[in-house]
Amino acid sequence: MARIRFSSIALSSILWVTAAFAQDLAPLDSDSALAEAQSMEVGEAQARIEFRSLDQDVQSLKKEVLDLNRDLFLLEEELLFPANSQVAFFISMDVGEYFDLDAIKLKIDGKDVSNYLYTEREVSALHRGGVHRMHMENLKVGDHELVAVFTGKGPGVRDYRRGATMSFKKGIGAKYVELKITDRITKQQPEFVIKEWE
Amino acid sequence: MIARRLITVALWLWLAAGTMLSQPLAADDKSGLTIVKDAHFGEVLFYFYQEDYFPAIVRLLAANKQTQLENHIDESELLLGGLYLSYGHHLQAAEIFERLLVDSVDQDIRDRTWFFLAKVWYQRGYLAESQHALDKIETELPKPLEAERTMLQAQLLIDNSQHDQAIALLGDWPGEDTWASYAKFNLAVAMVRSGRVNIAADILDQLGKINPQNEELSSLRDKANLVLGYAYLQDGQPVAAKAPLQRVRLDGPFSNKALLGVGWADAEVDHYRRALVPWMELKDRDLLDPAVQESMLAIPYAMAKLNSISQAADHYLNAIEAFYEETRRIDQAIYRIESGEFLSEFLAQDALETTGWSWKLEALPEAPESRFLLHLLATHRFQEGLKNYRDLSYLLRNLDQWQQSVDVYRNMLDTRELAYNERLPRIEKSLGQADLDGMAARKLEFDARLNSIEGSADSLALATEREFDLWGEIIALERNPALQASIPEAEEIRDKVMLLRGVLQWDLDKEFKSRLWKIRRNLRQTGEALVKSSRSRRQVEEAMRNEPLLFAEFNRRVGGLSPKIDDLKARVEIVMDRQRVFMLGVAADELRAQKHRLDTYTVQARFALAAIYDLAATATADTGFGSR
Repeated sequence: MARIRFSSIALSSILWVTAAFAQDLAPLDSDSALAEAQSMEVGEAQARIEFRSLDQDVQSLKKEVLDLNRDLFLLEEELLFPANSQVAFFISMDVGEYFDLDAIKLKIDGKDVSNYLYTEREVSALHRGGVHRMHMENLKVGDHELVAVFTGKGPGVRDYRRGATMSFKKGIGAKYVELKITDRITKQQPEFVIKEWE
Repeated sequence: MIARRLITVALWLWLAAGTMLSQPLAADDKSGLTIVKDAHFGEVLFYFYQEDYFPAIVRLLAANKQTQLENHIDESELLLGGLYLSYGHHLQAAEIFERLLVDSVDQDIRDRTWFFLAKVWYQRGYLAESQHALDKIETELPKPLEAERTMLQAQLLIDNSQHDQAIALLGDWPGEDTWASYAKFNLAVAMVRSGRVNIAADILDQLGKINPQNEELSSLRDKANLVLGYAYLQDGQPVAAKAPLQRVRLDGPFSNKALLGVGWADAEVDHYRRALVPWMELKDRDLLDPAVQESMLAIPYAMAKLNSISQAADHYLNAIEAFYEETRRIDQAIYRIESGEFLSEFLAQDALETTGWSWKLEALPEAPESRFLLHLLATHRFQEGLKNYRDLSYLLRNLDQWQQSVDVYRNMLDTRELAYNERLPRIEKSLGQADLDGMAARKLEFDARLNSIEGSADSLALATEREFDLWGEIIALERNPALQASIPEAEEIRDKVMLLRGVLQWDLDKEFKSRLWKIRRNLRQTGEALVKSSRSRRQVEEAMRNEPLLFAEFNRRVGGLSPKIDDLKARVEIVMDRQRVFMLGVAADELRAQKHRLDTYTVQARFALAAIYDLAATATADTGFGSR
């Protein structure tokens, strides 16, 4: 019986591919491996060109869709909350070691307008300095009252529920109200502050 | 000030880069602290910190357009660059960095940013751009990044066939850590490619004998041994090949190939019985592995060599049957892939909620074709292509949602316009009835009259109705002729009337100033109300003039959106199709290569089986001839 050597077809290909942070193996010094490797390189170059062309199209589409989203976002805001009547309520957190936020409820002029449950990711984003636009409302020019009820865990991981009230005047033009959760270190208690923001 | 939280300037870049490297952030850098001063900037950060890059970018672009980030102009642009980078919008990110990464940003941050961009570009196959980004790095990066940077540079040189430069770069790698081992391996790769096989063998031999501290190094050690072993085998040195191949772990990812190689090393020196030991171990492993497939041919080959012809024939038949079954499964998998179900299943298990470059498909879905595509997962092109496909799916869903919203806006605008047109006549009628100018004239008249009353101290002018009636009665009594008589009774009544008049005059004088003040106050308030009413009227009139223009403007904007969204959706779908075809092509090619290998093995098995049958037939003929 003739001596048959089952050539390692698969191996010759894996032995060529570039190291790429040592992910693959080096080529062996054989003609067949070299020829196969060269043909693989040609195929690789073609695939790279095709991938790049596609990637550039994807990049360009991303830009267009992002720009369109920006325009739509602004249009939506202008349509639903015109600047003359717009009031935005922002939530921020400064330190916040004495309070683990679960939810915030907002009442404007005695009417419930928003009840927001926070996820862990969102609370973490607030801790890191993010500011959440919790609610937008259309209000008439004049005096209004805001009541915010904060629910969560307070010092000693006890259930904690506190309210904060503020009267504010809505003039002509958009108005921003900030609800800030801070720490009152002397009392080792959380503090909830509502501020008008220009 | 919205929050007292301090954030380092350009931390965004660091954070963006951090998400790619999964490295903890060095929060102790307090240089160049800034404060979140604009709520909208904080809002962008809220989404950024949740790694929701798409909404973060949209909000930043919108806030920028509305000049709501006046206190963070520089930072917001840098943040935008970081967001683009995190989102995988690398070309746009680079454009910003080229413009902004100048002297105003710390050298350290600048260099890191270029490094991450180089990495993104390399993985996406933008090799020239990747080199350009690496060239921008001016100082040494922190230790783990510096090692990675050098490795990336070496990789680019090897890809560009600049092997000597790669060898020079990797040759003097300091230390003995994991990176040093990788450097040695890549050095060996560069050596082999530049024809210096013997030196490469020495390096691989050293690497194959290291004492690995972790799984990563164990794997690298196995790989070095495998490469070296096969290099010796192909160089006709089977005895030398055995030692490195036997150093490969039996339970590692390279064990199948090593077992196959060990068998061949023995077979090459005619130790077929010994060769059967690793090959028999291999044959019961997963048939998907080429080494296992090859072992199914190697076993009967060795048996034939050991004159176990009938056993050899049985094994060849088993191999042919197994290859046939496997080929059939591959055909079915290729059919499924080409039908397009494949990519949908890939993304079906992914929530598509986050939109980040750092996303990676960790496991293949449970589908018949998945087992054939395992190693595709490890390739940059497949992963990056999948990211693009996933991003395109996100864009398409986003456009779908906006399309629905635009319909709602159009209805909303129509309803508003209808309501406006219904109310307009009533408002016009009310405005027509309200004579604000006449009221203002009357107010001025009142002012003048009050001034005159004040000037003449006419307290009677401010008398109440009762007082005024009383005053009239007193005057009437005074003028009564009967009271003019010179009789004591008339005189007495005259005195009383005088007294009454005096008391009334006293009261009127006493109340005069207070009454004057009250009336003046009421007049002032009336004047203010008139001013307010006039202002409101002007606003209403202005609104009546502007509202139709506003409706027209909104209608124009909303009306222009639908075709724009339709156009973008169509283009996204076209690119998605292209991307799908590309990905399916990559996957189908992978399967076809596997099928081709099985076909080749099947031909080899049939040929060997035929040879065995020939041999057996010849032997029988010889025996028959001899017996006659």
